[in-house]
Amino acid sequence: MRRALLILAGLLAFVVVAAVIVYVAFTGPGEIPPASRDLANLSAEERAEMAQAGEYVARTGDCVACHKSPDGLSLAGGTPMETPFGTIYGSNITPSRDHGISGYSADDLYRVMVYGIAPGGSHLYPAMPYTSYHAISRADNDALWVWLMAQEPVERPNRPAELIFPFNLRPLLAFWNLIYRPDPPDQPVHGITAPQEDQLARGRYLVEVLGHCSECHTPRNLAYARKADAHLQGNVIEDALAPDITPAGLARRGWNTQDLERFLGQGLSPQGVMTFRMFPVLSHSTKYMTPEDIAAVATYLMQDAPAPTSPEPRPEAIAQNAEGHNHYLGLCAGCHGANGEGQPYGSVPLRSNTSTMFDNPLNLVRIIREGIPARHLTGYQRMQEMPAFKDRLNDAELTALVNYLRQRWGGHEQALSVEAVTDTPG
Amino acid sequence: MSDRMLSVTMRINGKDTDPVDLPEDLMLLEYLQEYLNLTGTRYGCGQGVCHACAVIHDAPGGPEVVPTCITGVAWANGRSFRTVEGHATRDEQGNVTQLLPVQQAFLDHFSFQCSYCTPGFVAAATALVERLEAGPVAREDVEDVVLEALNDNICRCTGYVRYLKATRDVILNTPGLTTGEVAASDTAT
Ligand code: FES
Ligand code: FES
Repeated sequence: MRRALLILAGLLAFVVVAAVIVYVAFTGPGEIPPASRDLANLSAEERAEMAQAGEYVARTGDCVACHKSPDGLSLAGGTPMETPFGTIYGSNITPSRDHGISGYSADDLYRVMVYGIAPGGSHLYPAMPYTSYHAISRADNDALWVWLMAQEPVERPNRPAELIFPFNLRPLLAFWNLIYRPDPPDQPVHGITAPQEDQLARGRYLVEVLGHCSECHTPRNLAYARKADAHLQGNVIEDALAPDITPAGLARRGWNTQDLERFLGQGLSPQGVMTFRMFPVLSHSTKYMTPEDIAAVATYLMQDAPAPTSPEPRPEAIAQNAEGHNHYLGLCAGCHGANGEGQPYGSVPLRSNTSTMFDNPLNLVRIIREGIPARHLTGYQRMQEMPAFKDRLNDAELTALVNYLRQRWGGHEQALSVEAVTDTPG
Repeated sequence: MSDRMLSVTMRINGKDTDPVDLPEDLMLLEYLQEYLNLTGTRYGCGQGVCHACAVIHDAPGGPEVVPTCITGVAWANGRSFRTVEGHATRDEQGNVTQLLPVQQAFLDHFSFQCSYCTPGFVAAATALVERLEAGPVAREDVEDVVLEALNDNICRCTGYVRYLKATRDVILNTPGLTTGEVAASDTAT
């Protein structure tokens, strides 16, 4: 007995010592390439130029989405992000001395963006998408730094994360990083602050690095790391489905490059209007991107896609699901049209709507239950408010309606059960 | 418009309508105006936004307001509604003898100018008063529930305040709609 205990204690000691060695030797920040230029001696003109480029980096990286404060102050922090382990709040990244990042050097920012390690060595939660940003070019990082430092400081304290044990132990992230944090690329990266001929490469950088699309659109494993073999194949996050945006997944739902450009640039396409967490992406990020960059993103996302094959409408659904048809005419057709045609500047068409096509009914159910606020998109483009119908449909009626939409326009022949429809969040 | 038809009957202002075959995608507003000649319900935005077309739906759970421009007869079939024509008391000849307190208050407060929005406001305020009869609110919450109940209604003439105040006064002057003390100063208009 004593012997067994001794062996156990020995093993434990060994594991602890090994962990400490691994921790010290492997989990810190890796190499930091030299700054893209002499940042200490910029002329006012160079500084202004870099700040402008840096603002575009911040837009394409969508920093504001998470770092704006609930009262709308850009970058002052506090936007909640729900994870299965608790809530994390975006931090104050204005150059406030007490609460922000005024003490950061450009190297410090690079360390944060690429390695997820703050000055002083503390680990960021990977809610800060350093696993995507890790391939940021040094020039983009430096421009971003110049822009961040030129912002108004906001004296707003950070809100600590509310995570359950053991996820509240930041040092443990070192071991997560060991397994899941990608190494930065060996070759210097061609960022967006430098002009670029290669549209596909630029699109890839915008999607995979700055745009960090896969942070929402890629399913995660038990350790909450993205599954490498299911890249961009869709994921449920914060109670909404971030759909499959692989070329095949997009083509299956009828997307082509042109629709994707409209959706990203204007928030609206025949497939629908931006909803849930994608709407802030439009408002803070994609609507500021140049048409060339939007085209690069769409081209990259659709590269080698098969020809679009959206599901054929199934008029037989009317007879198949008479109850659903009746609810549709009674509650939906007034805006969306008896044949799902929609109204310009009012309501989206349903006959080409992507939400009816997903296997997972989550988004459809939530939109019917909760409605969608009025959308001010870009230019004159508007969508009116969609009312919430949760008080006007019981579970059986909601199920009939959801099934009808899926059966008539989503290419689904089979009906889902009441449980499959109503056991969705919201 | 669909050529599929639906046999429709409903209860409007307490009377059952004769069954009639209607295009299945007809909206309730059109049925009221074109088939029943009840033209008091107004057509504004046609998109569920302005509530000029709102009527009271007597749902099993109590009165609720529905925008008739986007509510189809397919849903309304078999249900019971009250339109602006149905609120007042009338004599044998059909002449109005007494308005609802809400209607009277809107007149007394000069709540409307062109009146295009008024039928919808009457529906929303009346449904609120009836809800409060079933479940009164505390005095200090009255302004909030009034604002919430009328918030969906758009008026392009008056600036809303006179509608809100009129509704608030009806609530404060009707015993049983609020809990707690109502100060005398509250009910002075
Ligand atoms: S006309 Fe119905 S809500 Fe405006
Ligand atoms: S009184 Fe004219 S719209 Fe309200």
